[in-house]
Amino acid sequence: MLDFSILTENLDMYLLGFKNTILSSLIALVASLILGILVAIMRIAPIKPLNWLGTAYVEFIRNIPLLIITFFFFLGLKLSGLYAGTLALTIYTSSFIAEAIRAGILSVPKGQMEAARSSGLSYGQAMRLVILPQAVKIVIPPLGNQFINLVKNSSILAVVAGLDLMYHGDLISSRTFVVFDVYIFVAAFYLILTIPLSIGVGYLEKRLAKSN
Amino acid sequence: MIVFDGVNKYFGDFHVLKEIDLTINKGEVVVVIGPSGSGKSTLLRCINRLETISGGSLSINGLNVADKKTDINKLRRNIGMVFQHFYLYPHKTVLENIMLAPRKVLGQSEAEAKKIALKYLEKVGIGDKANSFPSQLSGGQQQRVAIARGLAMGPEIMLFDEPTSALDPEMIGEVLDVMKALAHEGMTMVVVTHEMGFAREVADRIVFMDEGKILEEATPAEFYANPREERARLFLSRILNH
Ligand SMILES: Nc1ncnc2c1ncn2[C@@H]1O[C@H](COP(=O)(O)OP(=O)(O)OP(=O)(O)O)[C@@H](O)[C@H]1O
Ligand SMILES: [Mg+2]
Repeated sequence: MLDFSILTENLDMYLLGFKNTILSSLIALVASLILGILVAIMRIAPIKPLNWLGTAYVEFIRNIPLLIITFFFFLGLKLSGLYAGTLALTIYTSSFIAEAIRAGILSVPKGQMEAARSSGLSYGQAMRLVILPQAVKIVIPPLGNQFINLVKNSSILAVVAGLDLMYHGDLISSRTFVVFDVYIFVAAFYLILTIPLSIGVGYLEKRLAKSN
Repeated sequence: MIVFDGVNKYFGDFHVLKEIDLTINKGEVVVVIGPSGSGKSTLLRCINRLETISGGSLSINGLNVADKKTDINKLRRNIGMVFQHFYLYPHKTVLENIMLAPRKVLGQSEAEAKKIALKYLEKVGIGDKANSFPSQLSGGQQQRVAIARGLAMGPEIMLFDEPTSALDPEMIGEVLDVMKALAHEGMTMVVVTHEMGFAREVADRIVFMDEGKILEEATPAEFYANPREERARLFLSRILNH
């Protein structure tokens, strides 16, 4: 049986960690989305040097472990664990988001851009008014998965004393000498975040499919 | 006036347009025909710089299309384009499809753009579909919306790339009728099509292309009665007899 006293007696620590995990995830989510959109546009825009830069960014970032990026900011740039972890999470996730968005944009028929451009719209206007609204539908499901991964990956903060949920789990475990139950409760807190996210994405997916 | 002067175009090593000389005057209707892969679409797409030319010169009303200094968005306002597969914006209503460029490019007010859009929808015979989405329309109706979308910008020139090729036979007539009306009003039109009835009725000239070259340029009457080129003759007999 689960020992619920572990939860009740350490509730303030659990909640502090939970709060930091939410904070870090939320910041990383918004920032990686913005960064991801920018990088995706860099990869697609009809400007060669930008394409190269965007491709280099994606290939470099998504092919090294998140832990290394975190260490870079923590040990290399001597940021605090919370900052280093959130920053690393942002950068790491942005490379996957950029790829998801790029795939979504490329799945819009080429003729849409041509029709828009031939009516006199600039590239930026065509992208914003014609292409992106169509790409959103395709991009929502993979984007949702990236956000769920992001929440789970935020446990990387524990490695650099980032004060998150996992870190506080470790702390509680080393104090109480209980392993199994402590981490079951940690997992439950992660699920509180990821399950609504998962349901939300499913709901959006259905609604977008209907509007087609 | 559209003037091709010794225009060449390559896709990599592939020489798709070869020494094209062609002048299209204001108010003229020119029909471009030729076998698949002969470069008809490419020729058309050079006119509004959807494709860039590799050599020679191409000008519209004296403005050099290839010149980097030419404001391409300004040039394109004046040239409507209709595609084989319509390319209406699926996330916008018919009205929004037509109003987008006039609003964003010409800076028309909502009310003004709407008035103009409705006028052209009436003109192409589907005023009642203003608030439908493209997916709710038949192919023929979608193509007529695409034509209205082009016209709403008030262009001097309209380009058509096989506008009826993707349509069921019973819908071809309704689109051609709209195009014929346009031609009679004096619109400058460059039309890639194999609709010979249309060409015969409204074309001032027929341009026959093969393997990237213009092989023959003639009035419809001359062309049908007696194509000078053997390949044009072969091509004609194939499309007229199937
Ligand atoms: N973007 C491109 N890159 C490389 N080759 C191309 C490209 N676009 C067209 N081509 C080639 O150029 C040639 C001419 O193409 P184009 O589309 O102009 O022919 P077309 O006369 O319009 O043919 P169709 O009747 O089939 O539409 C074809 O061989 C085609 O494969
Ligand atoms: Mg073609």
